[in-house]
Amino acid sequence: MSSPTPAIQIDNLSYSYGSAEAVHDLTLTVPPGRCYGLFGRNGAGKTTTMKCLLNLLHPQRGQVRVFGIDPAKQEVAAKRLLSYVPDQVAFYPWMSVRETLDYLASFRPHWNRKTELELFEHFGLDPAQRTGSLSKGQRTQVALIAAICPETDLLVLDEPTSGLDPIVRREFIETVIGAYQEGNPGNRTIFVSTHLITEFEGLIDEFTIVDQGRSVLTLDSDQARERYQKIHARFAQAPPELDLKAALRVRRDGRELELIANGAGPELLERLRQHNPEELSTQALTLEEIFVATLKS
Amino acid sequence: MFLQINFKSGMPIYLQVVDQVKAAAASGALRPGEALPSIRPLAEELRVNRNTVAKAYSQLESQGVIETLPGRGCFLKANHSALRKEVRRKLLVEEIDQAIVQAHHLQVPRHEFLAMIHERMDVLDNKRRANEEHQED
Repeated sequence: MSSPTPAIQIDNLSYSYGSAEAVHDLTLTVPPGRCYGLFGRNGAGKTTTMKCLLNLLHPQRGQVRVFGIDPAKQEVAAKRLLSYVPDQVAFYPWMSVRETLDYLASFRPHWNRKTELELFEHFGLDPAQRTGSLSKGQRTQVALIAAICPETDLLVLDEPTSGLDPIVRREFIETVIGAYQEGNPGNRTIFVSTHLITEFEGLIDEFTIVDQGRSVLTLDSDQARERYQKIHARFAQAPPELDLKAALRVRRDGRELELIANGAGPELLERLRQHNPEELSTQALTLEEIFVATLKS
Repeated sequence: MFLQINFKSGMPIYLQVVDQVKAAAASGALRPGEALPSIRPLAEELRVNRNTVAKAYSQLESQGVIETLPGRGCFLKANHSALRKEVRRKLLVEEIDQAIVQAHHLQVPRHEFLAMIHERMDVLDNKRRANEEHQED
């Protein structure tokens, strides 16, 4: 069975600003219909990667494809297939919200007016207000409306919720799930870069953690939560000397042990059990905890 | 019906939805013929991928727990599993085996384990009875 054309294909991408390497040999594939997270700290190379997809930067090595199209060669064709919400939203400040959306819609072959109206009402935006006087949260809401109404099969979100208040962040994610995913659920693909991982936890199907421009870990979210475990054990006396090399991290505190395991959970649990702990429990790591454990080990 | 997702359980999200709907059906918290929340509002509320909820519902439907009425939504079916009896038993045996393994590791002996099963079944029966009485009032 041949797999469908990936929504995003990045092969061996490298990009440097002068001597500072922002992205190094990055490879990842986003299948259509998936929600894919690109996780990294500030300066990890997330935005540079996104800019290569949008042809705002040209890959210096390697290549990027959007639904099989090279954005550097067929910019219009590639951009027709995607929508983008940047981390810093900028509009012409003298235009009203209404004029801004009409202006952005003029570049699109398709625009869902009904969805636009629903989101306008949902966010409580005033169409007559000049974008220059919008709050940061409202600007992001307008950008999200502009990204959803063209009903493209790929939505690219670059740190979309950083700097926004919790209510706006919550509404943002609900809108992505509701208004965007509802349209054509099997094909609607989301590529989101963020370091606010907890908020997107339930939405992310698969993710790549990048650090200093390099890919550190790529995993399916359900598999990740199954593989990474936090094990807590308490013994009657000081914990015995155990071979815990299989653990990613070990913390000791008096009679207690806390381990972070990556796949070796069952083996470590068995080893701890042999010493009859008073208490033994396991918990899956959240994606954010996996992110921290991966970058700190 | 209110669902709760726990990202620390290590269980895939769609399975958590499946298990909670089944638990609600078994306890009578959700009654045959009652509607389940639609996919979109449920996904928005739980803030999980829409496709995850759709996957859970389609699994519940293939297991005969719920049915989709076109244009009307998803409803809990009366107690009719689509699976044959031996298949149903086999599925249950796997779950029981897991619980037995757990009991061994937690040093719960056979008679205690069996007593606990009776106890838990009584709890569920009582819950269901209470839910039914409530319905008749």
